[in-house]
Amino acid sequence: MSAQPLLEVRDLSKRFASREGRDSSLWVIQGLSFSVRDGEFLTIVGPSGSGKTTLLNMIAQIDTASGGQVLFKSESAPINDPKSLNPGLSCRIGYVTQEDNLLPWRTTLQNVLFPLTVQGRLNDETRARAAELIRHVGLAGFENHYPHELSGGMRKRASLIRTLVYDPPVILMDEPFGALDAQTRAVLQEDLLRLWEMGRKTIVFVTHDIGEAIALGDRTLVLSRAPAKVAGEHEIDIPRPRDIRGIMTHPNFGTLYQRIRAQVQ
Amino acid sequence: MASLGQSQIADEGGAQSRVAGMLRGRGDQLLVLVLIFAIWQVLSMWLGTYWIGSPWGVVVRLYDGVVHGTILHHASFTLAEAVIGFIIGAIPAVLLPFLLRRLPIATAILDPFMVGGYGAPKLALAPLFILWFGIGIESKIALVAITVFFIVYFSALAGVRALDAKLVQMAQVAGANERDVARHIVFPGAVPYVFTGFRIAMPYSIGGAVVAEIISSNRGLGYLVQLSAMNFDTIGVFTALIAVTIIVFICNGAVDFFERRLLRWRPAGDIKNQTSA
Repeated sequence: MSAQPLLEVRDLSKRFASREGRDSSLWVIQGLSFSVRDGEFLTIVGPSGSGKTTLLNMIAQIDTASGGQVLFKSESAPINDPKSLNPGLSCRIGYVTQEDNLLPWRTTLQNVLFPLTVQGRLNDETRARAAELIRHVGLAGFENHYPHELSGGMRKRASLIRTLVYDPPVILMDEPFGALDAQTRAVLQEDLLRLWEMGRKTIVFVTHDIGEAIALGDRTLVLSRAPAKVAGEHEIDIPRPRDIRGIMTHPNFGTLYQRIRAQVQ
Repeated sequence: MASLGQSQIADEGGAQSRVAGMLRGRGDQLLVLVLIFAIWQVLSMWLGTYWIGSPWGVVVRLYDGVVHGTILHHASFTLAEAVIGFIIGAIPAVLLPFLLRRLPIATAILDPFMVGGYGAPKLALAPLFILWFGIGIESKIALVAITVFFIVYFSALAGVRALDAKLVQMAQVAGANERDVARHIVFPGAVPYVFTGFRIAMPYSIGGAVVAEIISSNRGLGYLVQLSAMNFDTIGVFTALIAVTIIVFICNGAVDFFERRLLRWRPAGDIKNQTSA
């Protein structure tokens, strides 16, 4: 393990002002600390309302923390200062949000190319990469369809490769496969693992599904109910490459599942 | 028509049933038109052509007017006033909400004045504009422009305000700057709202031109209405009104055309989108 973690969260807290704006404010996260190694696949599970999305928003710098520190390569994110936020940290942190957030007025291809377009990196090479990703996730033939003409699973895939196409070193994922059927979900999980093993990016993957957290991650963090802090940490000692569909039969799966479930309340 | 809404991906069968549905719709519309003409004819026979010009008389007069060019001559003035006024009013109305997007305080300061301007009866300004700009085309353009401005301004403002913050965040994370956000997200998102404004404002622009002509003018369809009424020529009045209606139809078609071209990305939700493509 390297001495310097790529991403570090120290004693993080987040408070949302109550509607009256008075003292009865709601702490969503309090005293949360963890770190992520370079190239690691970290999964985070926690009950709904445990501030998982808020945590990712703060790491991606689209929301500001109320206290503590968020460090990326020892660079500190602004605290309590929404104006100085740098969303995506200059394209170094990609974010696959819970909703697909595809632009309805752009076709599948235009949506996938969107980050490259605004980054001024549209050329033959990046176009070829986009076409390859589109083929890879089974969207070939749907390049010129608008989002409303795609199924939920297809939209999800389009939103996933929209982030992969510009190759950010860190990718945050917020329950990206939450709304999908089990079959589509398994296919996408396999896709994701294959892509990750090819490029070895750092991934922080939030989910409420314990099985998914174990199947994908090198390590799983368990968050407590709000105000969230780390309730448990588990190294996933299942060798790679993993067989997603058969993961439940691995001898370590059952114990891990039991131990994590005991902590998720 | 029921199958049309469900056809997400256009296919041959869908296109055929769409054409069939459209033709049936047209047939029903023709029936309504005939019914209106029949009621009109009955009324004119009952009350006398002195009060209500007969539809046939109007058709003959309209044909003569088109053949001899008198109707076209007057219609071209009305249309020119409406179109020029529309453009002069709509451009700042669309641009202003975009410029004010980053200035919430300025928007808030302007708001009561805009609401006042929107609510004030613009036709009451016609005498003032005639005083300022004379009885020529300029006073009509001014009236049309101010009418269109307030309608389109509030539609465009609603479009800018309906901006989805999540799309903006997605774009920023992907590396979009302020200009990219405005160009790729705010603007395309507001286009449907702007077109709603255009659709509402369009008949007002023609109506505004006609009313301004009625008040004071020596040409245009409004002048024709006024002149015919002074001569107790009800057929002339009706002919001019039918001509105005036809212009409204044509302009509506133009708005439809541009809307369809610019908003191909929208799901086929309403009748307008179903009968297209």
